[in-house]
Amino acid sequence: MKKLLVPVLCLLFIAACGGTYTKEVDLSKDTAENADFSSADLARITDGMMSSIQANGFIQQYVAEHAGQKPVMLLAKELKNNTDEHINTRLILEKIRTRMINEGTAQFVDDQAFDTALEQLNLQASDLYDNTKAAKIGKFVGAKYVLRGTISNIRKRSGREDINYMNVTMDIFEVETLLIKWTNEVEFKRVSTKGALR
Amino acid sequence: MRKAFLATIVLLVVACATYTSRMELSRDLYDGGRYGDALTNLDKLVKDAAERDYYLFLLERGKVELAAGAYDSAIVDLQKAERRFLEIEGTVSVADLFKNMLVNPSMGEYQSEPHEKIMISSYLLLAYWLKGDREGAFVERNRLVERLKQYTTGLSDQDRAALDVPFAHYLAAVLYEIEGREDDARIEYDVLGKIAPEVVPSVLDSKLDELIVFTEVGRAPVKVSTEIRGYLQKDGASLVGFFNLPGSNGPQMFMLPGFGGLSLDKPGVLFTFAFPQCVKERRVVERCKLVVDGIEAGEMKPLDNLENTAYAAYERDLGATLLKAAFRTYLKTVVQTKLGKEDDAKGIAFNVLGKVLAAVDRADTRSWQTLPAEIRVFRMECGPGERKVSLRCLDARGTVVGASSSVSISGERDRKKIVFLI
Repeated sequence: MKKLLVPVLCLLFIAACGGTYTKEVDLSKDTAENADFSSADLARITDGMMSSIQANGFIQQYVAEHAGQKPVMLLAKELKNNTDEHINTRLILEKIRTRMINEGTAQFVDDQAFDTALEQLNLQASDLYDNTKAAKIGKFVGAKYVLRGTISNIRKRSGREDINYMNVTMDIFEVETLLIKWTNEVEFKRVSTKGALR
Repeated sequence: MRKAFLATIVLLVVACATYTSRMELSRDLYDGGRYGDALTNLDKLVKDAAERDYYLFLLERGKVELAAGAYDSAIVDLQKAERRFLEIEGTVSVADLFKNMLVNPSMGEYQSEPHEKIMISSYLLLAYWLKGDREGAFVERNRLVERLKQYTTGLSDQDRAALDVPFAHYLAAVLYEIEGREDDARIEYDVLGKIAPEVVPSVLDSKLDELIVFTEVGRAPVKVSTEIRGYLQKDGASLVGFFNLPGSNGPQMFMLPGFGGLSLDKPGVLFTFAFPQCVKERRVVERCKLVVDGIEAGEMKPLDNLENTAYAAYERDLGATLLKAAFRTYLKTVVQTKLGKEDDAKGIAFNVLGKVLAAVDRADTRSWQTLPAEIRVFRMECGPGERKVSLRCLDARGTVVGASSSVSISGERDRKKIVFLI
């Protein structure tokens, strides 16, 4: 009986190790898995940038000078990626845009909707549509400001150690004057060490 | 019983076909320019591969996909392999260690050589660039520079000349030029100046319209499993082994201190072990001439001798390879001569085990075999407009032995036009 017990327990243990295990991760408690850019960094960057925009005073000044109107902004095509990682940098910009719109900080022109909007306007101007109810042309709003940035890193990898310094610098510049109205950076450094045994 | 034993041996021998022999057909097809057939064969090898070889086969397939112009697939395969190689870098698997020691050194997971990791980044850079993803190529350039720093910092001038990868420095420099970062380009060209001064451009002008053509010549050396015979004898508390290594002058000697527990009935025993012999491949093409719009523009200049780099890496690892072989030899000899000499069931079992260990002994012949022996470059001023670029290949006597397919380049946004011809 004893002879059987050990192999049976071993088999049960092996069987328990099999299969796929999935669990939901609470994004507010998300942590980095290694020295590379991670989803946790995305939240950290957005929080850092948003609190800096709020504290800067430029938006509040604009609203006061323009009878309560919020500034109209445009996202740069992408955040310039100067790192050694393939990062979807558009995600960082879009996350900040989402927060700015939802918190009532600014209005944004959709830089990716131009072709679709133009197509719709042309269609609605045709005889297929009721011209009295069709969307009018010539109402596009031009952006006064552009939100852009750069993400860079300095990495040192040696043996099992991976040291990664990351810096995200963003700014908002005025289209008319090229004056930078706001800028901020979020930086962090992480060391990740692999175990000697795998 | 005897039949079962023989069947086991046959199975083990078949299962232990060396990497070089499994790759032979794919390599031949690739070299013959039959990329589709090579990929079909590699698909099968990838599908059937044990985990220990899986990522190396991905490298081979990624390289063929790059040559075939399937850039997206090449990126997927090369990145997947690169991720794994970086993940296991500097780590040890106890299970692999035992398998390496007890069975043969190809039983552990393949850990790629530094020059191979640099070449993965180089090819990824090319794949991104050639598919038109500028930003992706710049990221790969950053990764490449980081790899070069990681693997070549601290090398002596002599080792750098042997183990560095000039092609990678050149590619990084060109991409810096394209991005308008001339200072960074100059740093890479300065490094290149120490290892391949003849290819460093005399003028650095990122605004100059230039055509930069890379090509690959020959095949990287491969390792073949060679049986080495030797003699093991007791010397006091130690065992001393003698054997002849191909290509070396006189017999080699190794000592196993403290392993004198082996009681030899005879003055010594003969032994064999499998050794990975590095063989340089015969080259047909010796020179390449660049043809632009039907006119011969000039001869491609040698940029990177990867054959020498691979050989230098092999020679650097030779000591560790021989040490592992010595341990396996000891183990086999102990099992067969000491433990297997009794006539009882235990003795017979050890004898059988010794024979099995001898039968499965194979050298580790793994390496990235679709790498070329050499990379050459040609750089010329080239104004805007459409151009047709091809290569004329010549043998040592100057006879034309082949030509590459013609590639059309048109006026793009970048002043430097990179072409990769195979």
